[in-house]
Amino acid sequence: MIAKLFIGLARLWQWGPSAILPPTCRYTPSCSAYAITAWSRYGAFKGSWLALRRILRCHPWGGSGHDPVPLIENE
Amino acid sequence: MDSSRNMILAIVLSALVLIGWSFLSERIAPTATEPTTEIVEGEQVALPNTDAPGPDTPAEMRELSEVLAESQATRLPIETPRVEGSINLRGARIDDLVLLDYRETIDADSPPIRLLNPEGADAAYFAHFGWAAADIETPNGSTVWQADGESLTPDTPVTLSWRNETGQLFEIVLAIDEDFLFSVDQRISNLGDNPITARSYAQLSRSLPETHAQREPDTWLIHSGPTGFWTEDLNHIDYDDVTAAGSTGERFSITDGWLGFNDKYWLTAIFPAAGTNVEAAFMPLGNERFQAVYSTPETVINAGRAVTRSTSFFAGAKEIILLERYESENGLNQIDLSVDWGWFYWFELPIFYLLHWLFTTIGNFGVAIICLTFIVRGLMFPIAQKQFQSMASMRAVQPKMKEVQERYKDDKQKMQQEVLALYQREKVNPLAGCLPIFLQIPIFYALYKVLMLSVEMRHEPFALWLKDLSAPDPLTPVNLFGLLDFVPPPYLAIGLLPILLGITMYLQFKLNPAQMDPTQQKIFGIMPWVFMVIMAPFAAGLQLYWVTSNILTIAQQKWLYSRDPRLKEQAKATDE
Repeated sequence: MIAKLFIGLARLWQWGPSAILPPTCRYTPSCSAYAITAWSRYGAFKGSWLALRRILRCHPWGGSGHDPVPLIENE
Repeated sequence: MDSSRNMILAIVLSALVLIGWSFLSERIAPTATEPTTEIVEGEQVALPNTDAPGPDTPAEMRELSEVLAESQATRLPIETPRVEGSINLRGARIDDLVLLDYRETIDADSPPIRLLNPEGADAAYFAHFGWAAADIETPNGSTVWQADGESLTPDTPVTLSWRNETGQLFEIVLAIDEDFLFSVDQRISNLGDNPITARSYAQLSRSLPETHAQREPDTWLIHSGPTGFWTEDLNHIDYDDVTAAGSTGERFSITDGWLGFNDKYWLTAIFPAAGTNVEAAFMPLGNERFQAVYSTPETVINAGRAVTRSTSFFAGAKEIILLERYESENGLNQIDLSVDWGWFYWFELPIFYLLHWLFTTIGNFGVAIICLTFIVRGLMFPIAQKQFQSMASMRAVQPKMKEVQERYKDDKQKMQQEVLALYQREKVNPLAGCLPIFLQIPIFYALYKVLMLSVEMRHEPFALWLKDLSAPDPLTPVNLFGLLDFVPPPYLAIGLLPILLGITMYLQFKLNPAQMDPTQQKIFGIMPWVFMVIMAPFAAGLQLYWVTSNILTIAQQKWLYSRDPRLKEQAKATDE
């Protein structure tokens, strides 16, 4: 439920501010796409944690390239 | 086909944003303070004072001057360097107070801001201190008090006294400092023969102005209305909620806190003495009249004894540095929270201090904002440098990228992979990432709140036609810079600064590498003009920040591009 709300907010970000900002993405998928996948896969709490860590990686001295959301391991 | 549909969608969405925004903005994010000037026939004139009673003022409501003149005989003047007014000895009300340092409009001759008004005039607003007791007569609204002085000044406190038939002496010792703080000691001396039970109270009474236009809007981002600090928390209450609470009102108890009526720039608040626990309430009195009141616990006072209760009463402008001094030196716990910074106060306050320091050092608020922009862009310089470097190399490989896009235009996924491969081959540095943007947005938001909220930035000029940076830019080509005699509706009045904002933003976007998606590229072309319209009603200071920031960005970007070897070669090639 909360995860859905977060995903909605991320989509609003994509349609609004993100569409008009100059291109900045170092990674594929972009931070917002990463967050949406993380929330749908891991829920609001862990998803947010993953998204936050991604945003903190996403700076000029961070990594770049392909960086997908980790898959859920089957135990 | 698909792209033209996207285009239409983009235009419709932009239109929706524009229309929806004007509906939402007044509820969520107020755009700027009321315009204080208009431009008539090329001349800038101050807008008239809207606080005068309007035609719909009911008959029983009388002119303020009339009300004050009527009660002249029982008025004791208040004179300090910063406030002026009087106390009505009938009822012991502080009900007449103007703030000498602040004016209604930016016109230097306009009347000073009037905070407190006597009952009978429009927007009655006053403080009153009294007692409740079961078996004895207590002073009431028509009691005429004796004063032991001619006037209340920072050097001459005044004691008001009144004695009832059964021997109880009531005294109110009033003192005022050089700024906006009254201290009020309420003493009851039992000179009768029997013990009495009494409690003292302090109250603020406020009638909302008759005309709705004179009321301050209460918005999500800036609260205006009943406010207080109790149970370790700042509490914002709406006037409507107080009305809905009925005759019991909104009740709570306060220790080391306060309650009062909070406007964007002005505040009246009562503070019980530190450590005492009091019962407090916001009460609806009907007819859009409200009361903020607290009363001390009931006390038994034996014959020959006296009890004193102290209240600090703040009435004035919410100057941040003054509020902080009151908190630390006068023990007015959490008075600084009356400035509605919201969740991000920890980020907004440093911006405020920096801007305030620049302002007091330089003396011009517009120049201070420009300096702030230089500082922010200076801090962002290394990040932006990396960002523009990678943008430069992206622009350099643009011809090759176009080829790739042409070749794989039917397979989006493949296209993206090939573009990434191209970047790697051509050693295009990755872009700066989203963190830099997440750093910029709070700075802009903080500046918005500082410009909206702080009374220090109110009515501050820059240069030329910009006489108030906390209000929108008044100079607009829509009415030929005031030569045509009509005032454009707010959403059409696009000033010169927002137009500059649109132009600089457009130029800056043109320096960015082209988007992979042609539709998105077209949106980029529209966006500066959408922003121009959205930003037009906001404070000119905010627009000034953005324009300066754009110009600095363009300068940095151009300079970097001019040094990029690959772009140099390309430029040479096109010249030949």
